[in-house]
Formats: sequence, structure tokens, C-alpha cells
Amino acid sequence: MADAQTAITLLKEAYAASIVEMTSINGTPRLQVKKDAVPQITQFLHTHPKLRGALSLLWVVDHRPRETRYEICYLFTLSEHHEWLLLCTDLHGEDRLFPSITPHIHAAKWYEREIRDMFGLIPIGHPDMRRLVRHEHWPKGSHPLKKDFRWDTILERVQGQHVFRHIEGEGVFEVAVGPIHAGIIEPGHFRFSVAGEPIMQLELHHFWKHRGVEKLFERQQLTEAVPLAERVSGDTTVGHSLAYCQAVETLMQIKVPRRACYLRSFFLELERLYNHIGDVGAICTDVAYSLPHAHCGRLKEQIMQLNDRLTGSRFLRGVNCVGGVGTDVTNEQLAKATVELDGLEPDFTDLEKIAFANSTLKDRVETTGVLSNSIAWDHGVMGVVGRASGIDRDIRRDHPFAAYDELSPKVVLYRYGDVRARMRVRIDEIHESLRLIREIRQHIPLGPIVAQPTGKPASGTWALSAVEGWRGEILYMVMAGENGGIHRCKVRDPSFVNWPAIQYAVLGNIVPDFPVINKSFNMSYAGNDL
Amino acid sequence: MFSILKKSLKTGVVTGQYPKAEASQEPISPEAAQNTKPFRRSLAIREVDTGSCNACEMEMNALANPVYDVERFGVHIVASPRHADALVVTGPVTVNMERALKDVYKQTPDPKIVIALGDCAINCGIFKGSYAVTGPVERHIPVDVRIPGCPPRPGEILKALSELRDAQRRSGD
Repeated sequence: MADAQTAITLLKEAYAASIVEMTSINGTPRLQVKKDAVPQITQFLHTHPKLRGALSLLWVVDHRPRETRYEICYLFTLSEHHEWLLLCTDLHGEDRLFPSITPHIHAAKWYEREIRDMFGLIPIGHPDMRRLVRHEHWPKGSHPLKKDFRWDTILERVQGQHVFRHIEGEGVFEVAVGPIHAGIIEPGHFRFSVAGEPIMQLELHHFWKHRGVEKLFERQQLTEAVPLAERVSGDTTVGHSLAYCQAVETLMQIKVPRRACYLRSFFLELERLYNHIGDVGAICTDVAYSLPHAHCGRLKEQIMQLNDRLTGSRFLRGVNCVGGVGTDVTNEQLAKATVELDGLEPDFTDLEKIAFANSTLKDRVETTGVLSNSIAWDHGVMGVVGRASGIDRDIRRDHPFAAYDELSPKVVLYRYGDVRARMRVRIDEIHESLRLIREIRQHIPLGPIVAQPTGKPASGTWALSAVEGWRGEILYMVMAGENGGIHRCKVRDPSFVNWPAIQYAVLGNIVPDFPVINKSFNMSYAGNDL
Repeated sequence: MFSILKKSLKTGVVTGQYPKAEASQEPISPEAAQNTKPFRRSLAIREVDTGSCNACEMEMNALANPVYDVERFGVHIVASPRHADALVVTGPVTVNMERALKDVYKQTPDPKIVIALGDCAINCGIFKGSYAVTGPVERHIPVDVRIPGCPPRPGEILKALSELRDAQRRSGD
């Protein structure tokens, strides 16, 4: 197992002819390679036993009008020390084809289909060439993220139907669920092929909520786009806005004051708390045990009212700004909040005992919806779902941000990958968040809460930032444009990577277990669709 | 069993423990009050998400928790548009959801009312003008009640619903 330097040495030995240039961006090594060598190099990084690189992000930048080229970048995380390595390649002039890496690295499957929809660049060799983001009624040739596509284009409609994979056979029928579901939840479409009760195949058809967030970012100034980042996924307000602010701060070389870092960690842990508590309750209600759901609803409401009292917003909107935090929380308020949360902990522990004392609940959550470690690794699954299947990744420990270089969060890991494991990951993370909040309250320094941004970064410079939101790893890539604007902002919520994994987790389970499996994943539809 | 009972007794009653909301900034119009008359004091609500960020959905889900408990006001959340009296629509209507919204409106039997929840449903909020957004809900279906906010607090949603109930009781008779 090795780090980025070893990886570069091994790559230079094996593929010296294909490597054009080697640089480094904000400490991350960057290799410029020839387009045709990309599949072999990426397969090497992914399968080499010493490296075991996982694909973290795949994005395209349209450099027009400055230069006529598209740049495709691949971000890998090497397994042992969790270091990043960037591979970049260019498409010049009229070139629209690029080789697909999906046959070897399955984590790239949705990224490449999204690139085709948004940029019109075709991944050659991709096994699934159907539309992803633009549903079939969008006109041909309308690729929103290209620089010659206006942000406020009024689109026409054409005729078209999404083609689902069929299973033929006696007694096999299709069940279509969505986009409007029975509960109060976001729209998404699930196509089941069932033979009796057991699910033979599940196919997802999402992106109903595509609002054009990445294009809207390109209209904003770097320091003013935080409200848009907050509304990418409403329940991950702090996660997304923090990731965006960190990327801009790296770009503009702003050093965030320590007190602001601690406050950012505090708000992030609050967000993790209220969402995990809500999820545990929701999983219980999906197995028809509504008592814990009512209690968790009460506890979640308590935390959201605490958020409202501390910051004026139940979802912690307006707390992050470029350079620090926008609202200060005095040490007395922090002390009172910690006392209140300490009172919440035994309340929640009682609930845990009540929930797991119920044999029906235990019967329904154990061995249901198993996502094995090998499938999770192949598809790049991360976050809560990944940690329940044995994927040991947590950005708070691997790439410490905000105050996590001084706090040391314990990473929860379970191996079985069933609904119970995902529930237990959430329960353990709730206790860990409460402990982290106590530590934050003890160690938070006094001082300023915001560093004013000065100057404008050079056009074309860019920065990456990663935050461990409550669902998983949120990655932002922000490239500066002319005059303090944004040329390209790539937003990746962990749901984008985890959604396809549910298609594997439900196989063999019965249809009535689908709601609890879906709830145990609890992926964001809005964060996925952008 | 005893631990459950003990917990319920120890917790006590939490209903109503939320900060009181001020009067809604969008008053109920006489037409909306007239349209709500058939339902008297109860309402069966179906929620339709046409592209919101999910915060409005979480606030609507909060209405069902023990603290807000919307069912004590006669408001019931139903699973199908065919059982609904009122459609609560959130989100700026995205290009992909436009057809689904119109279908749901047609499938909901008359009489019905439409409540636009949140800034996105009323005026598209921060997504106004985007290529993927087809304009506020009232461009596609007639809207009776508007509840502004990003997102509106559950207390504010309850206040708007109770104002609706009062308005329909006062109108005519």
C-alpha cells in the first residue's frame, strides 16, 4: 500500500510515453496524460494491489471562449493514506469523443452519462448510452453546460420515452413507482421487475428535479454564491455551503480564523445530528414501529428549534460565508446548547433500547438489503452506506477540514451491509457527534469569526474541496472566471455515487422491504439531480 | 412494554411546544375561501414536489411529528392524489416534472384547492430563469393559497392553514 509519490513513480515506469506533464495543484499531484491512454492508466490505478485507487470525481471543463478545448479530469483517492491524485486530459478543437473507463471502473458510469448529457462529449465504450439528466423530451443537441448554451434558454419539447431494461419470463411483471411517491418525499422513478414478491431487477430513473444548479453557479460571483450552494440539497445546507466556501477560500488564499473553523464543525455536527435522528425514526416507521418515529420526531424538532434559536434558521441557513461564519455563537450560548444536547443523549439511548428490544423490528432489519463490500468498492460507494458495508472512508479523518485536524472523530465501521448496519452506523455517529460537540465547546478559542476576502483570483485557477456531510463525502471543484466570477463549479453530493448501489442492494429482497431499504440509504434526490 | 410506558410518562405532552408564528404575509383571498368551503374544517392533503431542495418537504414532514401534530386540526396527509382535497405543491416546476404536475392536477377529483408552499413554488426563488425551470406553479395550475418562506416554518404553515379555515368559515354562510 502506498502514497501518491509511489503511485507517480509506478505510473512513470509503466506509462512514460503517455504522460505529457506533471504539476501540482494546491498540494495535489496532477498528471496530464494523452487521451487514448486514459483507460489503461485508470485501470492500473484502480487494480494495482499497492495503489487501489478509487475514483472520487470525474468532471469536464469547457474552456471556451478563452481556449477551444474541453478538459476532462479524473480524481483518484489512493486507499492506504487516502491521498488524492489527479489525471487530466484534453479534447482539442472539434474532438467530441473520449474513451470510457466504466467497463473497468464502475464508479464512473453516471459521471460519463452526465458528461454526455451536459456537454455532448461521447464516452466510447460505455455500456449504457441512454440519457440520464435530460429526459427524453429534451431536444437533441441541447447540452446545458456548454458555453454557447444560454442559462435562460426556453427549451422545446420533443417526443420520447425512456427505455427500461426488460426481463421476460413467465410470471415476471413490472412495477413502476414514482415520480410522485406515496409519502412526503422527493420525486424519483423506480422500475421493478418482480416474479411474485422477490425483486429480480430494479432500475432507477431520476433527475426529475434537475434545476440547472451548475449553470446557475456560473452566473454568480465567487463570494456571493453561498445561498445557491445552501439550496442544492436543503437538508445538507451546512455541508454544501461549507464545501463551496472552502473551495473559494483555497482559491483566494484566505486563511479562515480558528474560531470560525470550530463554529463550522459545530454546525456540521448539528446538521449530522438532526438528520441521523430523523433517519433512525424513519427506518423504524418503515418497518411499522411508529413509536420510535414519534420520539425521534420530537428529538429532531428539539434540535431544529435549537438551530433556530442559535442562528435564526432551522436548517442553519446563512451560517457559512466565504472567509468564515456569518453568525457568531457566544460561549454562553454554546454552553447552554451543549447542556441541552447532553440531556438529549440518554433520551436517545432509551429509544435505541426500545427499538432493538422489538423482535419484529430486528427481524425486518437484519439481513435485509445487503450491499456487499465488493459491490460497494466497485461502485465507489461512500459515506454512511459505505461505512456500513466496510468501506473505511471519512473525510473528517482523511482530509481534515475546519477544526477536524484538532478534533479526532472516531470512524464507525460495520461489515455486514444490511439495513441494521446502516441504522447502527447512524446511531453510533449520533453519539460520536454529541461527543464532538462537547469537545468543540471545551476547546473553542476566542477571536474573529470571519476573514474578509481581498482581491480576485486569476481567471482559470481552480481548487477542490471535500467535506464529510452527513450522508457522505461532498466534493466541490470551483474554477474562477473573469473578474471574480465563476467559470465552472462542479458539485458532487454523495447521493450521486450512492444511488446506483441501491439497485444491487434490493436484489432478492421482497417488494415490501423496498421502502425500508430506500430509507436506510436515504439518498438525496435534489443533491443528485442538481 | 414497561420501559415504553415509562418513557411516554416521563416525556409527557410535547404538542404545542413551538414558537408562535405571526400572521401570514399572504392573506387568504375571498376566492380561496370560497373554494375551500366544501371541505368545512378538515382537509386531506397530497404533497407534490416539483423540484424543491427538500427543505419544504422536511417542514411538511415535521407537521406530522408530535410537536406540531397537524391531525388535531383535521388535516390529514393522504397517499394518493385521488384521495386529496388539497394539493400542496413545492418547488419551481422543473422541465422534467412539468408533465407529472399537470397529470396529478387532472387526477385529483373536484372540488380541490392548490396550496403553493415555499418561495420556489410562488416565484421560483433562487432558480428563477434557469433553463431547467418552467416558472412558478401558477403558470401551470391555478393556485389558491400561498405560503411564503425558504422554507416556511411548520408553525407558519399551521398558521396559514388555520387562517384558511377561519376565512372559509367567515365567507358567506
